This record gives sequence, C-alpha cells and structure tokens, in this order.
Amino acid sequence: MISALFNQPDYVAAKKSLDAVVLRQEAIASNIANLETPGYKRIDLAPAFRTELERACAGGNAQQIASLKPALAPDAAAVAQSRDGNTVNLESEMMQLNQNAVANTLETQLVSTMLYRLKLAITGKSS
Amino acid sequence: MVQILSGIQSTAAALNAERTRIDVISENIANANTTRGLDGKPYQRQIVVFESALQQAVNNQTEPPTLRVARIEKDTRPPQMVYEPGHPDADAHGMVAMPNVDIHEEMADMISASRAFEANLAVVKNARAMALQALSIGKH
Repeated sequence: MISALFNQPDYVAAKKSLDAVVLRQEAIASNIANLETPGYKRIDLAPAFRTELERACAGGNAQQIASLKPALAPDAAAVAQSRDGNTVNLESEMMQLNQNAVANTLETQLVSTMLYRLKLAITGKSS
Repeated sequence: MVQILSGIQSTAAALNAERTRIDVISENIANANTTRGLDGKPYQRQIVVFESALQQAVNNQTEPPTLRVARIEKDTRPPQMVYEPGHPDADAHGMVAMPNVDIHEEMADMISASRAFEANLAVVKNARAMALQALSIGKH
C-alpha cells in the first residue's frame, strides 16, 4: 500500500513536531498581541505534548504518534511582572519567536529530506 | 480555520489596536492646549482600554485570544489651573483651566505603543518566513 510509505515513525513524528511549531507560533503571536492587555495570561504549547511525543517515539508506533494532538494551554509557570497581572514578557517572547523560527526551519527541512530520500529510492535519480 | 500565516489574526488585531492607541495619543497631544472643546469645557485626556477577545471557535478547537479596543475612556483627573489673566477663558481670579494632558506621559505612551507595533510586525515577518519554508517542502 502506498500509505505505508508515509507511515514511518520518523516521518510521522517530524510532521507532528511541525504541527506543534505552527501552533506555538499562534500562541506567541497571541502573547505579543496582548502585550499590554491587563490580566492577560500567556499561553504556550501544553507541556504534556512533548512528553507524550517522546514516549510515543520511544515506542516506535506510528499510529500512536499520529494520534497525538498538540494543544495550547495557559502557561502556569509565568509570573506577572507588573501590577496589571499580565504575564507576558516582551524580551522572552521575542526570543521564543526566533527559537520557533529556527525549529520551523529544522522541521520543514527534515520533512523535505525524508520525502527527497523516498523519491530518490523510487526513481534512482537525484533531482 | 486554515491560515497561511499562522497567528496572523491575533497580530492583525493587535496592529489595529495599537494604531488606534497612537491615534488617540496624537489627539491628546494635539489638544494639549484646548481650553474650550465642543462642550465649552477644557479638553479631557482620552485613554484606550484594551481587552483580549476570543476568536470564533472552529471545530471546537480553542484558538488563541486576539486583542481589541474595549473602549476609549476619558481621564477624570481635574484640569490643570494656570494663572493667565489675559486669557479669554480665564475666570474671575485670572485662572485658566487647561486640559489634564501631560505631554511627557503622552510621549512615553507613544513610544510604548510604537514598540508594541514593531514587535507585532516582527511576528508577521517571522510567520511569513515560516509560510515560505512550508511552501518549499518537497523542493530539492
């Protein structure tokens, strides 16, 4: 079956990580948008996703990896630095934004390279 | 909802809100010496109040909140009384009620608003780079 080609655990895990990076970008965009909203609590990727992904990857079961769903949750560790109760810190947010951009480059190249290898194996031609 | 640029709704809303804030600040600065407004009273400083807003939930998925201008309120601090007997709006003691606009406060607010605007532009730039990378998946 053709679907077996795209069901390797590595490939599925790379796709899931890419999903998580895109979702995280939305969270950071929202945090920076609400930089000065009184009482706003910063959101981020729910930490459970990373541990679950790691566990599923260790198991090597593609179905289990594919069933994971990254989700957003309020960041419980963030503390308010001003009296209005807003927990967003611009500097750390910009840093995470850039980290996320690098992570995105990594994940897209990973997915790309995997597809390229598959193509190479099928056609035997490099281009 | 599928977005090419991830998080663009929050960012666009924030750019819009910060623009409103800058508009209100410029109105405050422009009217720093208006002793007689439309209601015959000295101009009152205006403040923009932000609030985060939930996007319409699609497929029961929680979307990150955006930003909107909740309301524009008047600063209720009393006007500054300045002694200027020759002024047409001076009272019997020669005191003129000047607007409660503090130019230093406004300048600081303006810088903070334009920095927030810049931060959101940086997010757009980043989202754009991410979208371009996503489009290049499979090209080698």
